Amino acid sequence: MYFQKKRVIAMLLAGGQGSRLKVLTQKTAKPAVPFGGKYRIIDFPLSNCVNSGIDTVGILTQYQPLELNEYIGNGQPWGLNKTHSCAQILPPYERADKKSGWYAGTANAIYQNIDFVDRFDPDYVVILSGDHIYKMDYNAMVQYHEANNASCTIAVRNVPLAEASRFGILNTNPDNSIYEFEEKPAKPKSTNASMGIYCFNWSVLREALIADEEDPNSSKDFGKNIIPKLLASGHKMMAYPFNGYWKDVGTIASLWEANMELLGKEPAFQLRGGKRETIYARNSAQPSSYIDEDAKIVNSLVAEGSQVYGRVTHSVISVGCYIGEDAVVEDSVVMPGVVIEAGAIVRHAILGEQSKVCKNAVVGGAFAEGEKMQISVTSKGAVVEANAVLKPGDML
Amino acid sequence: MKAMGIIFTNDATMGELTDKRTCGSIPFGGRYRQVDWALSNMTCAGIRHIGIISRHSYQSLMHHIGNGEEWGLKLEEGGLEFLTPYASNTNYLYRGKLASLHNALDFLEYSDGDDEDLIVLSDSAILANVDMADVIRSHIESGKCVTVVTKAGVANGQKVLDLALKVDDKGEVVDMVVDFAAPADYLATMDIFVMDKKFLIKWVQEMVARDKYHMDRDLIMGGWRRGQIDINAYQFDGVALYNESVEEYFVNSLSLINKEQREDIFNGKHPIFTKVRDRVPTYYGEGCDVENCLIADGCILEGEVEDSVLFRQVTIEAGAEVDKCIIMNDSVIGEGAELKYVILDKNVTVTPGAKLVGTRQNPIVVKRGDTV
Repeated sequence: MYFQKKRVIAMLLAGGQGSRLKVLTQKTAKPAVPFGGKYRIIDFPLSNCVNSGIDTVGILTQYQPLELNEYIGNGQPWGLNKTHSCAQILPPYERADKKSGWYAGTANAIYQNIDFVDRFDPDYVVILSGDHIYKMDYNAMVQYHEANNASCTIAVRNVPLAEASRFGILNTNPDNSIYEFEEKPAKPKSTNASMGIYCFNWSVLREALIADEEDPNSSKDFGKNIIPKLLASGHKMMAYPFNGYWKDVGTIASLWEANMELLGKEPAFQLRGGKRETIYARNSAQPSSYIDEDAKIVNSLVAEGSQVYGRVTHSVISVGCYIGEDAVVEDSVVMPGVVIEAGAIVRHAILGEQSKVCKNAVVGGAFAEGEKMQISVTSKGAVVEANAVLKPGDML
Repeated sequence: MKAMGIIFTNDATMGELTDKRTCGSIPFGGRYRQVDWALSNMTCAGIRHIGIISRHSYQSLMHHIGNGEEWGLKLEEGGLEFLTPYASNTNYLYRGKLASLHNALDFLEYSDGDDEDLIVLSDSAILANVDMADVIRSHIESGKCVTVVTKAGVANGQKVLDLALKVDDKGEVVDMVVDFAAPADYLATMDIFVMDKKFLIKWVQEMVARDKYHMDRDLIMGGWRRGQIDINAYQFDGVALYNESVEEYFVNSLSLINKEQREDIFNGKHPIFTKVRDRVPTYYGEGCDVENCLIADGCILEGEVEDSVLFRQVTIEAGAEVDKCIIMNDSVIGEGAELKYVILDKNVTVTPGAKLVGTRQNPIVVKRGDTV
């Protein structure tokens, strides 16, 4: 088989469980969790790749991959199914030398797929994760990496000092070169937080992965092992500042918030965009949405294939949902295929795919300013029976 | 028995709507083109080898259909072929469907392993969600030469029908008329036919050799009257929308707001597939008031919209009022504008405060790209 040499390929780490998303990732890998009405989280890094001119993407899967594999398929929705492009799913596998098995960490996952990367003989490898909502031109980062003659470039964003101890913090010189990396420091020296987006010279990364694999004390993780080791061995490492919208949607609260940030006339995160800013998704063949004469929709997104008879305020309604007469949906994320029957009330909730809120049931509730936000969640296919109550913060 | 398909795309002319496009590429139902129904009906019945016959203005049609990927057409299985006049070096002057088919003889005669015995022909002016596999089954069981898909209740003594049939209690055809306002007890053709491929090739050659080009008149009705062919009338029981004039197009578009109508036409037997556009979900603003509408993706709605069909990426600014309108892709309705009984073609700009009022029988049609 012929493999064209590539300047850049991307490796997308999509195997994490996302346990902080609780019932939403019980049967679904985090990257396959629906977002923004018609997307899934993985659409963002995948579309960014395509929009950045990266046409070869290895997708490393491990946890509950069925839905994710199905969704990615041959990569056709992202145009990654052409003669010289691919979206290749890379699950863990068994090898003759037994140096394989489950992916033991982010670095080990790439290590086990050195052969895949080698086929394209790339100059650079961009490492991405499937947990973040953002639009970014990776090619600009690669150019920056190349111009600075670096071995590794890490995308960073400014975080409030108070939150900095939750992140991997990069301490940099005035020219943005990195002199120190601290994973979740108690007393952060800077506010440059790593976004978990790395650009490596493949030759450097390849060697580092092989060396790290031999280290019995390593947890085989990019942040904990590979980056500190490269820094210690004197490689030139650069921080690439990114100022756009970026959100880790790893928790129920942040997933809800990120959805809410799509709303408004000038939303915090704009899904719309020109040719190189389009987010692509696998489309279902659904007709337009029907909005009834008694429906009232205010400051909300509604995707195709939905039928709205009730009242929707400040919410995201995904493809193929049904919202019955006199139902009320406020401040909620309604995932694909959800049915909310007549008279039901849904407030501050995330309703998982194909879940159902029966007649006159109540899910979640309002909370006063300053009160702790409590999001009610239904899992995929869950049913809230007629007249039942799912209290604020409860999960089903 | 395997079947291949032929779709005619230039059948009806509808004023400004077909000014620069084929009947098949007229946008319909918010996110579709009319040809999507014929294509989906065929591909959902397992037909994988389809020829598209176009006479002129087919650029937008080719752009829409592309390589047929969205409908599941793959090259390995025959795939899709555009049969345009210049694709053949014989005669490109259009005289009728039989002439088009004569031009497409190469396509008809070619087939992998010769296992496509049947041919399904469809137009793109009459939209219906048809289980074509059932039609093919009925054709085979009947043992007749030609199956015509028909619809009861369309003939009313006023609407001129391409072809209408009268059947007796046993379903046997007892009369046939062409281009005539048949009375209400006649079944209207849905311009969908099933026949043996070799039969079609033979008759296309025989007819064209005798200067006969009209499929309904010369082949179907003529052949039946001469006793040369027998006809199986298949009665379709779902919703069939005849978009053969601007008025019909307008009324049928607005009829999609009706739930039964909508569910049958979009999802009755199978989904209707169309070109993927990757638009974002529609945004409903703080002050918008949307009632009884069919809304596609990518719109920004700030004004009032009632009893209307909005295509993708339409913007309705604050204070604008849209009532009983069909608004196609990428159009912008400015602040305070008022529209009633209007069809806006793609990419129309209605400037703030403008007022356009048509009637149900004579909706105002604004051409693609115009500014009002």
